[in-house]
Amino acid sequence: MSRNQLPAPVVKLACAALLASLLSACAGPQSYVALVPSPDGSLGKVSVQGQRGDQLLTRAKQGALLDGSKPPFDVSDEQLQRDFGAAMRARPVLPEQFLLYFETGGSELTAESKALLQRVVQSALARASVDMSVIGHSDTQGAADANEALALARATAIAEQLRGMGLANTAMAIESHGERNLLVPTPDETAEPRNRRVEITLR
Amino acid sequence: MRLLQNISHALCAAALAALPVAAAAQSAGVGFVKTVTGDAWVTTTGQRVKAAPGTEVAIGSQIKTAPGASLGITFKDNTVMSFGPDTEMTVDAYLYAPAQGQLQLSTSLAKGSLNYVSGVIAKLKPDAVTVKTPSGIIGVRGTQFLAKVEAPQ
Repeated sequence: MSRNQLPAPVVKLACAALLASLLSACAGPQSYVALVPSPDGSLGKVSVQGQRGDQLLTRAKQGALLDGSKPPFDVSDEQLQRDFGAAMRARPVLPEQFLLYFETGGSELTAESKALLQRVVQSALARASVDMSVIGHSDTQGAADANEALALARATAIAEQLRGMGLANTAMAIESHGERNLLVPTPDETAEPRNRRVEITLR
Repeated sequence: MRLLQNISHALCAAALAALPVAAAAQSAGVGFVKTVTGDAWVTTTGQRVKAAPGTEVAIGSQIKTAPGASLGITFKDNTVMSFGPDTEMTVDAYLYAPAQGQLQLSTSLAKGSLNYVSGVIAKLKPDAVTVKTPSGIIGVRGTQFLAKVEAPQ
């Protein structure tokens, strides 16, 4: 062994210590939650009720330990990628909603909505695995019972058309909200074309 | 003729009796698996199935991903949750009846990583969404968040 060389055990120890400190630097916070903007760009809030305190996150890329023991801290993009890259990549295609409108009284779609139906089918077929809800609505003209039935007839008619357009094997939940869920609030006995609708959600 | 009528009545009654059961079985599902890479499982009432796109998730279902695997779920209210490797999550409660004001989404994340995107439940009733973890409870005010739970050493 020359004078410039350190004994092997010392080198080993130094390396191990360096490695351990590097690893702990990489590991970052242990159990934590981080707030990020929603896909639509809006930013909400996240609260933590921990065993050792409560925290509230209000800024993007802010994090808090899940035990609530420390005030919120900033989390780097690199850290988020390291901890959540796989979970983020596994995120399914977000749900998509379509609104179809009807002529007065029956289950006949307006001309524009007939054209939209084809786009619904294309979007549904583009998803790897799709389930959908088809919810019928009416305006407030006529009795509530009759509107409940009318809205269900609308949803059922649309679901049947979709099945005939290539979605025969798609899981569909068909429902009626009658006149209980107005898109445009109106008094009773009001004809309102925007309330005569079927809402389709692709998931 | 009378006999035939009786038989058909009996058959109708049997068919009607079977209906609510079918409806209940249908409504048990609260979401579907949409994405899977690697090995992942959904266990519902003791039945463990290998997860694939289209696998149903119900109240009480436990989701598990293997090391290196990931999985994504879309719930009926459009809440989207996806998980990274070596993750365990349970759906403790799920209520989605907006007309009756019945809204709840409670899950437990025992370990692993989660990417959560809020749906209708969080929009209508923010207090109704919680994610329990071994050291604390996450509450949501309509947003996207990420959570990591390290398994106890």
